[in-house]
Amino acid sequence: MAHLGIKGKLLAVIGDEDTCTGFLLGGVGELNKHRHPNFLVVSKNTPVSEIEDSFKAFLSRTDIAIILINQHIAELIRHQLDAHVKPTPAVLEIPSKDHPYDASKDSILLRAKGMFSADDFK
Amino acid sequence: MSLSDLYFNINNGYLEGLCRGFKAGILKQGDYLNLVQCETLEDLKLHLQSTDYGSFLANEASPLGVSVIDDKLKEKLVDEFTHVRNQAVEPLSTFLDYITYSYMIDNIILLITGTLHQRSISELIPKCHPLGSFEQMEAIHIASTPAELYNAVLVDTPLAPYFIDCISEQDLDEMNIEIIRNTLYKAYLEDFYDFCKELGGSTADVMCDALALEADRRAFIITINSFGTELAKEDRAKLYPKCGKLYPDGLASLAKADDYDQVKAVADYYAEYRQLFDGAGTNPGDKTLEDKFFEHEVNLMKNAFMQQFNFGVFYAYVKLKEQECRNIIWISECIAQRHRAKIDSYIPIF
Amino acid sequence: MSGKDRINIFPSRMAMTIMKARLKGAQKGHSLLKKKADALTIRFRIILKKIIETKQLMGDVMKEASFSLAEAKFATGDFSHLVLQNVNKAQIKVRSKKDNVAGVTLPIFESYTDGSDSYELAGLSRGGQQIDKLKKNYAKAVELLVDLASLQTSFVTLDEVIKITNRRVNAIEHVIIPKIERTLSYITTELDEREREEFFRLKKIQNKKKKDKKVKEEMQKELGIQESGADGQRNLLEDDHDEDLLFTS
Repeated sequence: MAHLGIKGKLLAVIGDEDTCTGFLLGGVGELNKHRHPNFLVVSKNTPVSEIEDSFKAFLSRTDIAIILINQHIAELIRHQLDAHVKPTPAVLEIPSKDHPYDASKDSILLRAKGMFSADDFK
Repeated sequence: MSLSDLYFNINNGYLEGLCRGFKAGILKQGDYLNLVQCETLEDLKLHLQSTDYGSFLANEASPLGVSVIDDKLKEKLVDEFTHVRNQAVEPLSTFLDYITYSYMIDNIILLITGTLHQRSISELIPKCHPLGSFEQMEAIHIASTPAELYNAVLVDTPLAPYFIDCISEQDLDEMNIEIIRNTLYKAYLEDFYDFCKELGGSTADVMCDALALEADRRAFIITINSFGTELAKEDRAKLYPKCGKLYPDGLASLAKADDYDQVKAVADYYAEYRQLFDGAGTNPGDKTLEDKFFEHEVNLMKNAFMQQFNFGVFYAYVKLKEQECRNIIWISECIAQRHRAKIDSYIPIF
Repeated sequence: MSGKDRINIFPSRMAMTIMKARLKGAQKGHSLLKKKADALTIRFRIILKKIIETKQLMGDVMKEASFSLAEAKFATGDFSHLVLQNVNKAQIKVRSKKDNVAGVTLPIFESYTDGSDSYELAGLSRGGQQIDKLKKNYAKAVELLVDLASLQTSFVTLDEVIKITNRRVNAIEHVIIPKIERTLSYITTELDEREREEFFRLKKIQNKKKKDKKVKEEMQKELGIQESGADGQRNLLEDDHDEDLLFTS
């Protein structure tokens, strides 16, 4: 296959401590040459600006294909998620353990909702 | 009653009484039954208020997170422990220090990991367990390479003898961090065991049992967990603490074990462990081997309170309290994640 | 839209042929684009359905995963800091492939495992089995999320492409085709007009000729009908006095 030569891309994680721990154990973590991690642990004391900066940094990194972000954190920087319209990197909202998944807040699903009638969403 | 028991109360009577008082505050089965009924963490908080924990969560802003509860529980344990530690005189103070060494090992391992990956140490310090903090920890940020860490900081810590015996400077770089941890822990357990033996009396009786169980548990669990990993058998054998009942025959056969059944066969020779292995299962709903070990440990710790005039009560108290914290966190997690099916798998103490 | 909105062209038969060809082209293009849009929409709906399903599934998988984290913590104590510090090389990476739907390239992510597990010995002394289970659960979650990511990127890409295609279809249907049709009808009317004018002109000339003839005949009648055949005009063939034009020296 012609794509074998392409270097594998990474997943980035923005989430609370437990989410990050889980995914890192799942094997997604990596430190790059500059020792920047591909994840951000968000605690209660993390300022929103730091989340925004990290999110922007992840968006602009070429070695990241998918960004996973906890939904309750996505809420904090919703405007940025909505502003991101390019297909890559894909931004996925994932539930965290304290916040079960709420489909009605998802940027992508909201976009979809505009196009289809309500009975597509059961 | 030996002579030393006569003098026990002069130095340690108050603290033992205090500790037994603390022990009375450990949650009972009835409290757990109340806790598992809770629908939300707020309910849990209310129930905890009626126990010895009192209003320890009162100043926390809602919504209450599991991590907050975790921190607060830890804080309470640390408060109680440091209070006892500050009042203690030799040899109890050394004994209590020994208890903190296990936390210290965890902290050191965390700091080493951080240094190896060039993370800033200052951000790691707050994440260390407060019971395992030591003076040199503040100075640890001067070390930026593992070699510096080894030479400048570690040699000054109370753990230094464990390091010097089994881990060289190069090992810090090359060895898997988990192996370092277990090597340290093994050295620590053996040292603690010897110390208790020296103390003699009922302390030795109680503590040697407890530490032997801890040692044997580690041996079993390490063996089972090492199946299918890169850990070689010789390396594995080096991690077995040599102060348990398994030493030396059991450990020798454990070192040769290749699968779970062989481990079980080894356990069959020891009545108390056979029981644990028999009760454990891998099916969902069954208690795991580790759960069985926890239960066994809890029982042993409870028995430590049956004897008077010994230091074992302090160790037992810390262990029981730790188990209790885990139980509460477990119940909170189940409540927070609305995953009630397994909420009952906590390990009851009294 | 007034009738003036048409292509600026000189109304001629030639132009009409060109316009007809263009109309045909536009109609063909319209039906092709429409087909493409339909194909994309079908795919889009499938993807949307899958996204919704996968998102629900993800909710469950993540729930299980985070619960196994709680279980592991119960058995091992708090190990998350250690994990967070012990990051080195990613074990799971994604590779992107391309899929083609009606000329639109959709990126498809594919996860693959690479390198060794840096947490292989985590929980060696305690909770190893729980951590193992936890790792498996999260690896499963990652796999699912990678699938979801491909679906989502396809979704976003398709969404964009469908919008463009629909815009084109609509533009052709509501702007270009009517414009060409209007131009055509303009050319037809112009040509018809010109034909009528021509016809009228011919009629006029015929009338005039008839009138002239009548006048002439009447004049001749007045002069007397002697020469009915000869009209005084010279017959070239009968003329013998035709001088040679060339070389008369």
